[in-house]
Amino acid sequence: MEHLSVVAQGVSMTLLLTLSSLLFGAIGGIPLVLARRSRLALVRFTARALIELLRGIPPLAWLFIIYFGVGTGVIELSSFAAAVIGFGLVSSAYMAEIYRGGLTAIHDGQWEASDALGLSHAATLVTIIGPQVLRVSIPAAATFAIGLLKDSSVASVIGVQDTIYWASHESTVTGDAIVPFLWAAGLYVAMTIPCAWATRLLDAKLRKRVAR
Amino acid sequence: MHEDTEQDRIAISLESVVKKYGDHTVINDVSLSVREGEVIAIIGPSGAGKSTLLRCINLLEVPDRGRITVEGNHVDAGTQISHKDLVRLRRNVGMVFQSFNLFPHMTVLRNISLPQERVLGRSRQEADARSMKLLERVGLADKAQQYPSRCSGGQQQRIAIARALALDPRVMLFDEPTSALDPEVGLEVLAVMRELAAEGMTMVVVTHEMQFARDVSDRVVVMAEGAILEEGDPADVFTAPAMDRTRKFLRAVLER
Repeated sequence: MEHLSVVAQGVSMTLLLTLSSLLFGAIGGIPLVLARRSRLALVRFTARALIELLRGIPPLAWLFIIYFGVGTGVIELSSFAAAVIGFGLVSSAYMAEIYRGGLTAIHDGQWEASDALGLSHAATLVTIIGPQVLRVSIPAAATFAIGLLKDSSVASVIGVQDTIYWASHESTVTGDAIVPFLWAAGLYVAMTIPCAWATRLLDAKLRKRVAR
Repeated sequence: MHEDTEQDRIAISLESVVKKYGDHTVINDVSLSVREGEVIAIIGPSGAGKSTLLRCINLLEVPDRGRITVEGNHVDAGTQISHKDLVRLRRNVGMVFQSFNLFPHMTVLRNISLPQERVLGRSRQEADARSMKLLERVGLADKAQQYPSRCSGGQQQRIAIARALALDPRVMLFDEPTSALDPEVGLEVLAVMRELAAEGMTMVVVTHEMQFARDVSDRVVVMAEGAILEEGDPADVFTAPAMDRTRKFLRAVLER
């Protein structure tokens, strides 16, 4: 038990990093998906290339590029800031693809009714299409968020003091190579299960209200 | 687009409208004019281009050739149609779809109020007051706080009519408004439409409801293969159609 109190110090950082990156991605995904569906071929192509690039390079490589590359050569970045930017950018690409899937689930009639009523394109996106896309995106976004929570452990490599960082620290200090990591594993499970459970509940609730 | 004062008795005019999807011509040189207060029923076999023609009136489909005039506002096909022109033309036109197309994430009241706020700049209170009046009129005031999914198809379609009317259109387009409904439920929608017609609303209705076409419309337009076969007084078209193709179609629908 003496390991647990040390390892658990990292839980709040794991949650903070995950939520910050997710928020970054949830917002960053919006311009990306809009660009992905632009009428201009060049904008579409650029957005698509960016998405593939962000998704195709491992998060650890992004963290190194941002922390050691940008973080030392261009502007001073804390390891936490670098991790949020790195995971946030990657999340933006994934969220853009999740939104794109959500958009295809929206019936054409919603756009047509908005056009026929004379709503502007912006008003249609903000008031009619956007909220519906966000709702249908919840299950996929939750699955992604759970993956992100686990992947965020990679940030310990650049010195973010998250759950796995403290497990590794404890392991070095005490010489116990197994138990601290088992505690870390238990803590990750304890974080992901309520997350999955809460999204299922939220999804069911929203579905019930707006079922078609 | 410019205001046209000489034509104020004509609500809608389509001049030589052509619409193609690739090589396929869906509307082939159709002209039609609708007077203020007139109720037009467009009938004909499926694939005749009825819905496409209707959707050209409010430019949900942009024609490849021809001119569309609604309440004096012109749009010419083949020219760059600005967003301003689109909005101005659509301002006078309400549309009701076969699949209702209510917004599922909003209450019934919001469905009707939001467009008023966004398009006409009405305040929330003004919009809600107008929405409630229209909901009362279609007999659904008690549904105001419900979500559309909790309403039957017939109720949803009446709400859709209220939503269109809330923007004070001068012309209403109906695209097979009862085709997705059980026959009995369709009657409550048709009742609202009859009332609207009686009040003098200019209406263009694409329909398979022959009884409605015969009783309510001032003029029946029969379409097939992207063209108007014939048009005229419903009594004449239904009892003594001029064209063989019309006779064949009417026999098929009336003898079912």
